[in-house]
Amino acid sequence: MFEINPSNGIPVYEQITRQIKFAIASGVFETGQMIPSVRELARQLAINPNTVARAYRDLQGDQVVEPVRGSGLAVSSGARALCRTERGKLVRQRIIDVLDEAFQSQLSADDIRQIVEQELARREAKVK
Amino acid sequence: MTPLVKLDGLSKQYGRTTAVDQLSLEVPPGVVFALLGENGAGKSTTLRMLMGLEQPTRGKATVLGLDCATQGAEIRRRCGYLPELPVLYDWMKVSEIGWFTAGFYDDQFLPRFHQLAAAFELPLDKKISALSKGGRAKVALSLAMAHEPQLLILDEPTSGLDTLVRRQFLESMVDVAATGRTVLLSSHQIGEVERVADYIAVLHAGKLLACDTLENLKSQHERWVITFASHEASLPELTARIISHEGQGGRRQQMLVQRPGPEELWRLRDHPGVLEVEVHTPSLEELFVALIKPAGQIADRPAHDRTGSR
Repeated sequence: MFEINPSNGIPVYEQITRQIKFAIASGVFETGQMIPSVRELARQLAINPNTVARAYRDLQGDQVVEPVRGSGLAVSSGARALCRTERGKLVRQRIIDVLDEAFQSQLSADDIRQIVEQELARREAKVK
Repeated sequence: MTPLVKLDGLSKQYGRTTAVDQLSLEVPPGVVFALLGENGAGKSTTLRMLMGLEQPTRGKATVLGLDCATQGAEIRRRCGYLPELPVLYDWMKVSEIGWFTAGFYDDQFLPRFHQLAAAFELPLDKKISALSKGGRAKVALSLAMAHEPQLLILDEPTSGLDTLVRRQFLESMVDVAATGRTVLLSSHQIGEVERVADYIAVLHAGKLLACDTLENLKSQHERWVITFASHEASLPELTARIISHEGQGGRRQQMLVQRPGPEELWRLRDHPGVLEVEVHTPSLEELFVALIKPAGQIADRPAHDRTGSR
């Protein structure tokens, strides 16, 4: 379900927290649902269990998941809204990065607007 | 925490060749520790000395508190060890070699061996001689793991195996670590090490070049891609340790620096002629390549590097 790339510059634990947050935001994991155990996810992704544990600690710290007595971690109530906000922030940051790159390569604001409009239009055409 | 494995100036000399050169490091319990290096870096020799199969020329090592030079038999009994080229009795069936090896361990060995064999889909009634390379490796790993050792030592466990078996091996390693036990492996597969290891020791020509958690190794280094306005532009004085520097004299240069201060990056960015500096987290592969480059190629450091006091 998750895809990890250990050498893409983003720490692996962060790749895990992001993907779990995205999964919660899109409803793949529902409120109250258990997320996979450390052992399970480590095995599934063939990555170090301490890395998964670290990601889970971060998720707990962000109050996205909470311990359920004796059985593991479950998605907290209110996590979905939290994760949606976070997803919005992350996407915004990525757009900012792309804009930086575009301005550095001497594109004008109008050039960029035109590209964005074209791409959005193409997508909408596909959906219809 | 007492280290499970401790090396103190461990060295091995074969005639005039130094295979392992004053290696000192500690493996804490409950981690996946990888010795990373090219072929001939001294990884196998180190592991063989730890198992008491090879006597050190100088220095000392302990495994589980036992002296490797004198208590090898006890170390081999307590640890799981997968040699680079496992020797198995070819004429035995898979079930027979499990039963035979179980004689050296407690009652739980055989049922666990059968569990592992089933998980690896090994045919119990086939002879070892009739197994593929991957099949033999699975038998050897099952034998090394079936007594649930505190410490599992694996010498190039995935080399020469196909993707599927490799993946199964990685999953097994991860699972051993998830139960709080320790894995010490050697490998030259950087991608795999980056996935599974907590700690990494980079070995080159018998010497230890770096040893730290993967996270520290990555966070202490930055890869800078610098774009200059012209070919004539020069770099300002830098005090951070420059591990590698590529494209010197060009308009686009790349540097791998260790523990740069934030003021240093600003100084570089404000330097006349510097258009842009991109900062990246290096991948383990980039770090590894930079670390093992022959000394002559490492960092044509600017003369004023003397000021670096680290």
